Amino acid sequence: MKKFAMFFLSLVFLAGFCLDAGAATIKIATAAPEGSTWMKEMRAGAEEISLRTEGRVRIKFFAGGVMGNDKSVMRKVRIGQLHGGAFIAGSLEDIVPSINLFSLPLIFRSYEEVDYVRNRMDKELKNELEEAGFACFGFAEGGFARIMSPQPIRSTEDARGLKIWVPEGDRISYRAMESLGLAPVTLPITDVMTGLQAKLIEVVASSPIGALAFQWHTRIKYVTSLPLSYLYGTLVIDKRFFNKLKPADQEIVREVMGRIYIELNNYNRQDNQKAIEAMTQQGIEFIDASEEASAQWRQVSSALNQQMGEEGVFSLTLYQKILGHLNDFRSGKVTRIGN
Amino acid sequence: MDVLNTKNKVSAATLNRFFVSALLLLTVTGCGLSGFQRGLSAAMMNNPDPATVREAMPTFLVTTDAMIEAAPNNSARLRTGAELYSAFAVLFIDDPDRARRLVARAKMYGEKALCVDADIACHLDQVDFEEFVGVLNRLDDDVLPSLYAYTIGWLSWAQFHSDDWSVVANLPKHQAVLAHIVAQDETFHQGSALVYLGMVKSLRPPSLGGNPEEARKHFERAIELSNGQNLSAKVELARSYARLVYDRELHDHVLKEVLEAPVEAPGLTLQNALAKSQARDLLQSADDFF
Repeated sequence: MKKFAMFFLSLVFLAGFCLDAGAATIKIATAAPEGSTWMKEMRAGAEEISLRTEGRVRIKFFAGGVMGNDKSVMRKVRIGQLHGGAFIAGSLEDIVPSINLFSLPLIFRSYEEVDYVRNRMDKELKNELEEAGFACFGFAEGGFARIMSPQPIRSTEDARGLKIWVPEGDRISYRAMESLGLAPVTLPITDVMTGLQAKLIEVVASSPIGALAFQWHTRIKYVTSLPLSYLYGTLVIDKRFFNKLKPADQEIVREVMGRIYIELNNYNRQDNQKAIEAMTQQGIEFIDASEEASAQWRQVSSALNQQMGEEGVFSLTLYQKILGHLNDFRSGKVTRIGN
Repeated sequence: MDVLNTKNKVSAATLNRFFVSALLLLTVTGCGLSGFQRGLSAAMMNNPDPATVREAMPTFLVTTDAMIEAAPNNSARLRTGAELYSAFAVLFIDDPDRARRLVARAKMYGEKALCVDADIACHLDQVDFEEFVGVLNRLDDDVLPSLYAYTIGWLSWAQFHSDDWSVVANLPKHQAVLAHIVAQDETFHQGSALVYLGMVKSLRPPSLGGNPEEARKHFERAIELSNGQNLSAKVELARSYARLVYDRELHDHVLKEVLEAPVEAPGLTLQNALAKSQARDLLQSADDFF
């Protein structure tokens, strides 16, 4: 990977220079590869923004993770080398502890529940980011993470003795695994494939599109359909930079990027369904967890979520608000997602 | 339970519609055809004017179809069909509907060529990766040409079906085929398997567990094997690797070399002419990209 460190000073200088010259260049990093839907949509959006602001606002992308993982991208944003990035929600926990609330273990059972809650809660999470100093343009769905394994996992017993991957730094998952008496193994995401090949890990959790993109599907034979965790991401721009744009230009950026994030959100829902079909064609079998196991896992997760809320890992108030909405939805008080 | 909070990149997961930017390597051997047709094939490869070849190719395609009709189990003819249809669609056809019709035939010919040569490889698209690799390792070396046609047919099909998640799902299999060919004979088809392998390995950035440096080595080896005459390998080094890692210096340097290099090289003239044209386009769009 190209080393950018030596250009650090000049990049910082350039960032300032661009603004002073009246034409701001917003530098945004993403893990999405060139040619992916994300990049195509974003490049089209950048062109529209440039046209509508008569060249006053340009966006420069660093795709394919060339600026490092989410943590190092955020570090570069902090020092002004970059102005923003596309992050998985969990990566922003240090800034907004509650940002990852939708990803809490087993909180959702279906996309209908997700839609119902997100229609009511996206704005609150977005506001948290805005208050923390970041312009946020909405959230894009990554899909439900599911258990993927070389042998069927329908119960806790089935998983016992297997080496289960937990993402590096993911304390919540680690604690949940331990609560169930299972064997978590921590690895950074980029090492998972090597880990699967070397049998350092045997079980992963991923969305279908994630499994295909990372090629983990070549190492597993079963997917337990139970939605473990809802994955999503967001694009943020540091307000220290964003607020220097003319207010009218800020509005244009918000409008275009907001629109694109809604589109990406919809694309990903469809893509996950197509990815499930592609995995099935490869001979991968989708199975259900037993009702007993589902209930046990939900119970463990729910207790853990409550405990973490009480410990202040995230806002207990917001968590309970989500539970309230879910309760409304499940009790049939509402019949339509938009209600 | 909570293996849950996987940090799969939402954005990274949208790795569809990403496919091979161009399959430049037109290396049609004409095996299994008559002496005259072999001559035609060589003449095509040595022609410095892509427009002339574009005009002439449909006739050659139909002739190849006719020869396959006459001998449907002749794997050499099927291979030629796969490679010709792939090359024609990828290099010359802009209309996606038309291209999809052509690459469907390329894929079908490639699959059939491999199936004719090896019974155990008849329904490889329907098996899982582990079984696929098992079959691959049991194939004899003399199946290499049909294995290559099989993957070339699929790669061209994939390029025009990049919205299809089965493309992403099947990609590791074809990467395994290319690695297998390179391991057996890196000079195969003038090093083109090396270049394809580099291109496939460049599809995933490090953030998705890819290893661009391996891709770079494949491109450089292909360039070395051709004594620097394979200009499309250089173009891919710039497009697939240098752009992936944002190495502007390498990108521009290699492409300028392509523009300055002679177009004529035995068996490479046509692809070199196309490579020069692509090098110009890439240099022109570099300011926007970097």
